[in-house]
Amino acid sequence: MSGTRISKGGLIDRSTLLRFRFDGRDFTGHPGDTLASALLASGVRVMGRSFKYHRPRGVWGAWFDDPNAVFNVTLKGDELPNCPATTTPLVDGMEARAVNAWPNAESDIKGGLDLFHRWLGAGFYYKTFMWPDWHLFEPSIRKMAGLGAVDGKVIEGYVADQLHDHCDLLVAGGGAAGLAAARAAAEAGQAVVLVDDHATLGGGLYQGDEPVEGEEPRQWVATQEAAIRAAGGRILSSTTVYGIYDHGLAALAEDRGFARAPRLWRMRARRILMATGAMDRPITFADNDRPGVMSLQGAAEFLGRYGVLVGRKIAVLSNNSQSTPIVAHLRAAGAEVIEADPDEGTLRALDGKRLSGVQIGGRKIDCDTILASGGLTPTVHLWRHAGGKLDWSAEKAAFVPGAAPQGMVAAGAANGTFDLDPALAEARAAALGNAPETVATGYRIKPLWPQPGAKGRQWIDFQHDVTLKDVELAARENYVSVEHLKRYTTLGMAADQGKTSNMAGLAAMAAIQGRPIPEVGTTTFRPPFVPVPMELYHGTRRGQLVNPLKRLELEAQHRQAGGAMCEYGGWLRPGWYGPDQETAIRAEVLAARQAAGVFDGSPLGKIEVMGPDAAAFVNFIYYNTISTLRPGHIRYGFMLRENGLILDDGVVARLGPDRFLISCSSSHVASVELMLESWRQDGNDPDRIFVHDTTPHWATLTLTGPKAQQIVAALDTGVDLDDFPHMTLREGQFDGAPLRIARVSFTGDASYELSLRAGKAGALWQAIMAAGAPHDLRPVGVEALSVLRAEKGFIMVGKDTDGETMPHDLGFGVPRQKKKAAFVGDRALHSDTANAPDRRQLVGLTLPEGALPLATGAHIVTTGPKPRSIGFVTSSYFSPTLNRPIALALLEHGSERMGERVTLRHMGQTATATVSAPCALDPEGERLNA
Amino acid sequence: MRDDSHKWDVPQNFSAPLAGPGVTISRIIPDRQTLISAPDILARTPGAAGWPDRAAGDSYTLCLRRDRVLEVNGPARTDGWDGQQAVSDITDGLTIFEITGPRAMELIRRGAEISDALPSRSAVRQAFGLEVILCRRQDALRLHVARTEAQALRKQLADHITLM
Repeated sequence: MSGTRISKGGLIDRSTLLRFRFDGRDFTGHPGDTLASALLASGVRVMGRSFKYHRPRGVWGAWFDDPNAVFNVTLKGDELPNCPATTTPLVDGMEARAVNAWPNAESDIKGGLDLFHRWLGAGFYYKTFMWPDWHLFEPSIRKMAGLGAVDGKVIEGYVADQLHDHCDLLVAGGGAAGLAAARAAAEAGQAVVLVDDHATLGGGLYQGDEPVEGEEPRQWVATQEAAIRAAGGRILSSTTVYGIYDHGLAALAEDRGFARAPRLWRMRARRILMATGAMDRPITFADNDRPGVMSLQGAAEFLGRYGVLVGRKIAVLSNNSQSTPIVAHLRAAGAEVIEADPDEGTLRALDGKRLSGVQIGGRKIDCDTILASGGLTPTVHLWRHAGGKLDWSAEKAAFVPGAAPQGMVAAGAANGTFDLDPALAEARAAALGNAPETVATGYRIKPLWPQPGAKGRQWIDFQHDVTLKDVELAARENYVSVEHLKRYTTLGMAADQGKTSNMAGLAAMAAIQGRPIPEVGTTTFRPPFVPVPMELYHGTRRGQLVNPLKRLELEAQHRQAGGAMCEYGGWLRPGWYGPDQETAIRAEVLAARQAAGVFDGSPLGKIEVMGPDAAAFVNFIYYNTISTLRPGHIRYGFMLRENGLILDDGVVARLGPDRFLISCSSSHVASVELMLESWRQDGNDPDRIFVHDTTPHWATLTLTGPKAQQIVAALDTGVDLDDFPHMTLREGQFDGAPLRIARVSFTGDASYELSLRAGKAGALWQAIMAAGAPHDLRPVGVEALSVLRAEKGFIMVGKDTDGETMPHDLGFGVPRQKKKAAFVGDRALHSDTANAPDRRQLVGLTLPEGALPLATGAHIVTTGPKPRSIGFVTSSYFSPTLNRPIALALLEHGSERMGERVTLRHMGQTATATVSAPCALDPEGERLNA
Repeated sequence: MRDDSHKWDVPQNFSAPLAGPGVTISRIIPDRQTLISAPDILARTPGAAGWPDRAAGDSYTLCLRRDRVLEVNGPARTDGWDGQQAVSDITDGLTIFEITGPRAMELIRRGAEISDALPSRSAVRQAFGLEVILCRRQDALRLHVARTEAQALRKQLADHITLM
């Protein structure tokens, strides 16, 4: 005999019939049912198969503590994998299928694996599949492992809504203690949010169906809910507090129905009251995993909430006093209940899928169901998330909340207060911040733990098939720490995260070692408390919003000009213009060298440093001397970290006596601003230096090439271009807006960098293109610019430098010798490391005629029987200007190796090159200063 | 480098308002936005709004930090250090979205930890993963965000509206 629906009782709506299928068979249920309760009511016992041995399994618990019944569920074409049957509300039309079983849970073809259990103990695959190669077996093992498979179909609109909220008091758990606490706090004027994972509040109150403060449970719950709402409290049902994080942040997952992504609440609470109740723990005995062996508390929940009697002839094996009201409830519902002391003798469940009884020592009890209760374990997971300690209570044979994390308090069964009236008093006191009155517990328990060496297969972790023998094996192999035990046996790593297995596992290890349980300790609980879909964290951060790039003001113009938009350092920028990358880059390089190119340099930093101490500050920040820079002039320089390594390079312009403009690398604006702010506020007078990042206000278009000046001259800027030397800056106007023209070059050709407010960039672009048309002006993308600067030997920080590069490695040793004042990184440049003779230095590499470009990253190696890397290629291109490959590299003793022939290796290929100066084009700078 | 043009929406100019249940998002184009920093700037601009202060009028000032304000539609000023304060024009650097409607706050709470009960002297905060300046102006909420990140913010707001 198995479960039946009784004619009355429970919280379901019997007037409505819901139809669903499980493993290909038709069933019915009612609103208010879960998949598990509806199946139990229909007489289904076997609802799953275990992970390893494919043993038949029925439900153990009635809620989040059940590890056995896991389904793939389809509704109206939408499928969700791994739905716990005990927490999935039944919906009309559902089609459920047990995971890890074929063709169905009742008759799983892999059930035969159980015959080989002697060879499949903990860690068997570590030992068995060693020869000839683990990877030979790995695909098959991986294919067999796992639970439900994702069908690959995207559920339209499956997007998690995410909300931030806050409250004075968050009450986790809507049972008796939670309701009492929430009401007390709300009526005291606190902003209260009460959260419970059930659709109907009340927690375990329906298990025994006993009156609460003189009221029938449903009525008492309704009274509390009404009072909480009347006092301004909020109630979130069907919502799980699944994690507690720093500073009172609680993560809540709100169920919004099948195939709808849950809603994530990020709830910031001044205080959190944990009223999460307690779970029944299994008794470890032979064949305790058989369908029909259930948690006493679970059976009571099925009866109280769903009107399901899990068996007709029930053996109750309980070592504690919680069984009394439940047994009475079961009997009142029509069950024949035989109570037995589980400590009376050796226990064994009899027969397989069809349970026929239980053997206790020499006595056999005929029954169709065994309800086991090894004692209550407070649900302390959230407490541990927040860093709370646990104390061992010998009186209750359980870990209970100990030293509290800041802003958190526990009450009721979650605090080890299992008796109803004391729990209510404790909860109300805790809600108001008062200490509860100490009341002697009426809860009685005779500890009953796993017995090492006991006969039969005794399950500790149902889902992952960890038995007492596995724990003994782990101990023999010295995996005695609970953390090692967990990882070696996978105990507690199933979908229920050890809710049923942790206590039994650590108690078994304690018994094996002859140590007290508290000495063995517990594993660490981490969020999420229950499985939540990844989508919960995902929300709207998908596609372009996973990592949104910064966008150029002129993106539309670049696209119109055929720009291929690529990601560079957090920006979406034109890489080249035209359908064919290689052809386009070559044409752009040649145009910039022979006529003119225009490049969108808007992402370049425009950080202003102002104030009476600005000059001294900028001088301190830069490796180079900046204090001597005159207004209207520009200087190239490095910023170092305190350890002397290069943070960034770029130019700094002096706009006035106490105003500087730092033009840092495009991708380093945020880090440079952070560094400036850090030093401004530490070691300098922050009231005399101010840093404004104005980068987004400006757009910059750079004209470069022999005809650049003619094109700029054609624009109406009001700037005199005669006698306008390289590394100077002038201010003018364009279309009524202030315009800066800087003579700086990153190409090695004469360049004019035009910056103005972004809103005018479109007009400037149009004017430049019109003025440049007669001069064969072409837009130049980032790729062509990279080639142009490499021809000239100009570096890109992060590409031609690595995490060890200092300025003198790049040939910039002189500025340091000339600098009189202290600067960031100065001290580190005096270290032995900074002055080591074998530092890698920037060089160029010249290739033999006809050679292909080197691979970026190729290693320069010593010759001989044991080659050693002495450097690597940092940049490598085919130079259209020089009509040959060029390369830059960092090489040990690079400056001393000029003219030396070196060997390079990359992916099994060998090449040779000659070390040369980094600058391959116009070393005298004639083009630059033209 | 890979051509990712197709992965990114062509930028919009946000001229059309975005409407959802109980909420409308419009772009506001100010005449001027100015960053002003000085040691005593807050003392000199006592009306600088933080959160949840309500900025009033077309011209208002927001407190960004102890020594910096954002002046919106204030008088024209010369950029640079004038002996008393550092001034930078940031008009085109910050895009302004105005959110109106009874569910405006609900929309913002999808991307920011914010409440009228949690005041802040500064109007700067993280919202939707971006640094924004958030203020109340009359009955509306205004978000000032770096122009370069306005596409991302607008898309986030649009996506969140569909979930409301």
